[in-house]
Amino acid sequence: MQEIRTRYPKYDVLKEQEHWDEHTREIVKKRLGPFPKNNFLSDHEADMILSIAMHIVYDNRKDILDYVVHHMDTTISSPIGEDQRKVGTPEQKTLIRQGLKAIDKLAQQQYNASFLEIDPNQQLSLLEDLQKGKAQQLKDWQQIPQKELFKKLATNIVSAYYSHPIVWSEIGYGGPAYPRGYVRVEKGLTDPWEAKRDDKE
Amino acid sequence: MTKNNNDYVTHDCDHYDSHRLNHLNKRKYGDEADVCIVGAGAAGGVLAYELSKAGFKVVVIEAGPFWNPQTDFASDELAMESLAWNDTRLVAGSDPLSMGHNNSGRGVGGGTVHFTGVFYRFHESDFKVKTQDGVADDWPISYQDLEPYYEKIEKDIAVSGPKHFPWGPFQGPYPYPEREPISANSQIFRMGCEKLGLRSVVAPLAILSAPFDGRPPCINRGFCNQGCKPNAKFSTLIHHIPKAIKHGAEVLSDCMVTQVNVDKSGKVTGVTFVHDKKEYFQKAKVVILSNFCIETPRLLLHSACPQFPDGLANSSGMVGKELMTHVGHDVYCKFHDEVRIYKGTPVLAATQEFYETDQSRGFVRGYTLNAHGSRPLGLSQNLVSKADIWGQKLYDIMRDFNFFAQITLVGEVLPNINNLVTLSDEKDEYGMPRPIVKFSYGENDNKLIAHGIKSSQEILGAMGGEPAFVIPDTGHLMGTCRMGNDPSTSVVDGFCRSHDIPNLYICSASVFVTGGGCNPTETVMAIAARTADHIIEEAHKGESN
Repeated sequence: MQEIRTRYPKYDVLKEQEHWDEHTREIVKKRLGPFPKNNFLSDHEADMILSIAMHIVYDNRKDILDYVVHHMDTTISSPIGEDQRKVGTPEQKTLIRQGLKAIDKLAQQQYNASFLEIDPNQQLSLLEDLQKGKAQQLKDWQQIPQKELFKKLATNIVSAYYSHPIVWSEIGYGGPAYPRGYVRVEKGLTDPWEAKRDDKE
Repeated sequence: MTKNNNDYVTHDCDHYDSHRLNHLNKRKYGDEADVCIVGAGAAGGVLAYELSKAGFKVVVIEAGPFWNPQTDFASDELAMESLAWNDTRLVAGSDPLSMGHNNSGRGVGGGTVHFTGVFYRFHESDFKVKTQDGVADDWPISYQDLEPYYEKIEKDIAVSGPKHFPWGPFQGPYPYPEREPISANSQIFRMGCEKLGLRSVVAPLAILSAPFDGRPPCINRGFCNQGCKPNAKFSTLIHHIPKAIKHGAEVLSDCMVTQVNVDKSGKVTGVTFVHDKKEYFQKAKVVILSNFCIETPRLLLHSACPQFPDGLANSSGMVGKELMTHVGHDVYCKFHDEVRIYKGTPVLAATQEFYETDQSRGFVRGYTLNAHGSRPLGLSQNLVSKADIWGQKLYDIMRDFNFFAQITLVGEVLPNINNLVTLSDEKDEYGMPRPIVKFSYGENDNKLIAHGIKSSQEILGAMGGEPAFVIPDTGHLMGTCRMGNDPSTSVVDGFCRSHDIPNLYICSASVFVTGGGCNPTETVMAIAARTADHIIEEAHKGESN
């Protein structure tokens, strides 16, 4: 998809894990896999989530995206609520399951192939239409509000992606800091263990 | 589908075994409590403490778990989304609110467990908006009524803040010294203000700057919104509730109140609650609802009965009406050098130069600007869900995560009868109807937003920041059971006692008449302390009669 751009190529936040509290370390390390079999998502649905995720987070590294798919599956399988849902939008399980079917139908209608078979540019343009609520007419959109479907998928994907320690390292995020805390917080200062730029202009 | 079994949410955890009986049939005050408080958040915690200290038999019923910061909290945004009230609320209106972590807590401590700790008093003008600006309504109480309680709360929890606070009637000093050092983001904010001739301060915070009450000062870990592990940030979970338990209060966590019960004379007899799918009744002489702006009206409306067909305490029809939030737009500017907004306490600097009405601006009321930190999940989630930024654009922004500075508005939203909480046909796991939360900004709000964004960009611009993006966000909830002197237009009186039912109180941000232009928690707690005093006085009156 693209070259991984980072200002902190030498930084690996996971090297700091011995300084994290145990509970946090356990939570973060689980994101590296391996992941159990999906609970709710079928293989086809999981593959679709993975392809959609590539566009949402503009990254195609499978090791990270596998966690993203796992997180989606965990979220949908959980009985815990979804904070808020717009009136007229179905529950997230239904929204995603029916939504993915509708996305496949849309790809068929527009390109005569399933979503996974069309090329990445076509996938992207389809997702852009969904986000704007301007995808081609389909009966399904009466039950599945396009924008809400896009938002639900994208928000869940982004939440998992930016919780992945490899991504933390790339953006130079210091991450967990308990019990040691951050000592040098003022302008221009960094703690010795924080990410340092290699591209100082 | 085996809906009843699988959809039942249990987040049970109870680390205070010695203080909570495992068998709910053998409760401490199972026969009858003097006071039953629903919700162990900012208000519920203060009420439980003050009333148990005064000798009342107090039972606090909390829907969520009794957290242990050491074992339940983590330095992780995603995992700690569980601190929020995650139960689905249906949202509507032209500016549907984002709920959950954005504005409500679940579990002992409520929202104080994940609030930012920013601790302001309201100004005198906030209580008389109608008199002053000809809009909204005046409160039945004044700043002077709350002043002693503001002072008490600040001392009780050792608020840190500046020696001199230049806005409003309280000019400082705060009980504990201001936080030092402040983060780069807050330094940039203060320097930008100075260049523009705007006064700024180190934010007053319910976060310790020095040891207090067996708790350590802040270590700038930065995860205030994920639950403070070191216990440097105040919450009622670690302050008021444990003290209340020592004074004899009983806390029933993981217990969801589903009904407020009334007898034939129209008085409240207690509440019905559910624990592990079993229903229980808690009898009480007085019931106080401190379950915040959505759950309080939901419970009152759901408790409708033949005497009160429109819901309890609702003869005015105002239960659920005039829901308010704060404008919470996040303004980001990009800098040439790293800022690293993830470091330290999120809010360490602020200005209230734009707080009071200034007719020349073309709108009434005003706002606070808080220099505000962010972390990767919070920022990226907001970008995609609130600003429609995703794909390559999101990637590009996030790769430069360390180069943005952020200011967050806390702006007053005027009350509007069309912003409200009602009941839907959809049922939750307890068989209660899910609430519908409807919200739209009004004209004055939108003008205030535009002004606040411009001021923020000017402050960061003065330091060389380039406007990057603005996330239309909100913060806090207020209203839905407003106080007032007139029972035909308000739900409770100035002491939070319901006009319709003498032994039913509502005490939380739900009683706010207007929202003010700053973070509301201190005002919630001051109101709770005043209500506690009132209940104590009323009881003494009863005794001497």
